[in-house]
Amino acid sequence: MNALQRVAVIVGYEWRRALAKKWLFALVILAVAIQVLIFVVFNFLFTNPPPGMPPALLEGLEQTKPFMWIVEVLTPQGFFMSLIVIMIAGGSMSEEYEHGTSDILLSKPITKLEYMTGKYLGGLSLLSFVAALTTILGVILAIIFFSPQESLQFLPHVYLAIVYSNLVFLSLAFMFSEVLRRTTLSYFSAIGVFIASLVISGVLSAVNSFTGEQLYLDVSKWLPNWGASNFPSFVMGKLVDVPSNPFISPAQGDSDLLLAGVFVAVYTVIFIVVATIKLVRSDVTKKTA
Amino acid sequence: MSSQSVITVSNLTKFYGDFKALDSVSLAVEKGWVYGYLGPNGAGKTTTIRTMLGLLKPDQGEVQITGINPTKDPVQALQSLGYAPELPTLQTFFTGEQLLDFMGKIFGLATQARKERIKQLLDLVGLKEWGDKRIGNYSKGMVQRLSIALALINDPVVLIMDEPTIGMDPEATAHFRNLFTTLSKQGKTVFISSHLLDEVQRICTHVGMINKGRMVFDGRIAQVLETFTQQWVIEAELEEVTKTMVSSLKKLDCVEDVKVDGNKLRIELKEKKDLRGEISSEIFKRKGVLLSLNLHKITLEDAYLRALKGGQ
Repeated sequence: MNALQRVAVIVGYEWRRALAKKWLFALVILAVAIQVLIFVVFNFLFTNPPPGMPPALLEGLEQTKPFMWIVEVLTPQGFFMSLIVIMIAGGSMSEEYEHGTSDILLSKPITKLEYMTGKYLGGLSLLSFVAALTTILGVILAIIFFSPQESLQFLPHVYLAIVYSNLVFLSLAFMFSEVLRRTTLSYFSAIGVFIASLVISGVLSAVNSFTGEQLYLDVSKWLPNWGASNFPSFVMGKLVDVPSNPFISPAQGDSDLLLAGVFVAVYTVIFIVVATIKLVRSDVTKKTA
Repeated sequence: MSSQSVITVSNLTKFYGDFKALDSVSLAVEKGWVYGYLGPNGAGKTTTIRTMLGLLKPDQGEVQITGINPTKDPVQALQSLGYAPELPTLQTFFTGEQLLDFMGKIFGLATQARKERIKQLLDLVGLKEWGDKRIGNYSKGMVQRLSIALALINDPVVLIMDEPTIGMDPEATAHFRNLFTTLSKQGKTVFISSHLLDEVQRICTHVGMINKGRMVFDGRIAQVLETFTQQWVIEAELEEVTKTMVSSLKKLDCVEDVKVDGNKLRIELKEKKDLRGEISSEIFKRKGVLLSLNLHKITLEDAYLRALKGGQ
């Protein structure tokens, strides 16, 4: 049996471990429910525009209609997907230490690096599956309710962008899981970083809108959530010519797209390297819970 | 260390912070041995085992399993090893069969081979009816049995067991003791950490004793009994003990001393021999009526306690 096969066995194991968790299903169902809710709201607005609705909004609605699949696909991205990946990866390593099952796994003919790679790729494949689920569902709903839809040829691009951008919080939670080796602490730490990033970027954005000072926005780009949340939107902005309106973000410049892509890569690499160093250098700890 | 050694531990030292958990521990276990590893709680037994498996990194020293260092090459070193941890917690989301199948995959067993092996092992550990049930529904004893099945999935050359019969009922305990003996007769090496001295004395060929992180004895079971035996004792209970009887017993060449406690005699022997015949003859000569006569050889427990005392 070669290293790749051993990694593949651990990937399969990670799927079984994650699928045994009911709360993960609940979170995915919640994300899907939010998608459906958005459709219901938009469908209502399209069919029964409220009296007195500003013409700009009405026009924006009409412009958005052929691109509803983008709205749908990107809606769960910023918040729910980040939470889902944190839940997937936050207990990946730590639960094995807490339950003592890491002893059983790592006393088998497998290296620590193969074990970690299998665990990480297991989380990544789960993320890819959930992203595929929400993406396909979004597109199907858009086609059923708001046909015809335009620019669907870019669907693979947006899917890959979603998966790529979520590597930041997947890797962050995975790192906490290995470094802290306490599942609850790992979840709280990863969610804490995520929420703190959202709050700080919101504050910086608000200060920017009051002062007009670009510096605040530039600083907010360094936060982990900026690249993670915006990269798929920037990719779509680059590929699809959507008129700017209140429902779809305007297209971004190439520099922001590149910067978001680089930040996602840099954060991901840093988090994985820290987790790897911790795993390789330290003992396999026994039950801590 | 012999070239036949399947497990070789050389000068193993391990610190937890400032605490020295293992202090230059060395031992060698050869093919076909059943090696009992004894020590009080916190002596360093589990630390030794976890270091042997490469789960802990030694601060000094080295471990070799079939000649390979598990820290440097875990894939090769652990390929022919089976391990059952103390009070295992298994993955409750699997059924017994699924967990065995998963472990079989890690060892690279082919699908058909896994299927056959799983059936065989579930039967062997008495879980045939429970293979398709989730482990979450197993009792502690059943988890322990499954853990032993997991350790055997790869038909290992070396079997390392940390307190393997804890939580098992007496029938299962006897069954697994027989199993370990059978495995050793098949040429497998069995390393058992246990605090059940009776268990070790029954099934082990060799014994290692550790106390406060230091090896205090390493050798054959018979050797440990010999080393720590001072004398054998015969205890006799009589209807009545007389002074002439005590005095005549004391005069026997084989008797070191006789102590009286009511109608009981404690006769300490000079030789490690069963001399109940001679003692009873002497008592009958003096018109004594024997109610009971027992020979007390040294048990492993006595030897163990003396070894620990000596190692401190």
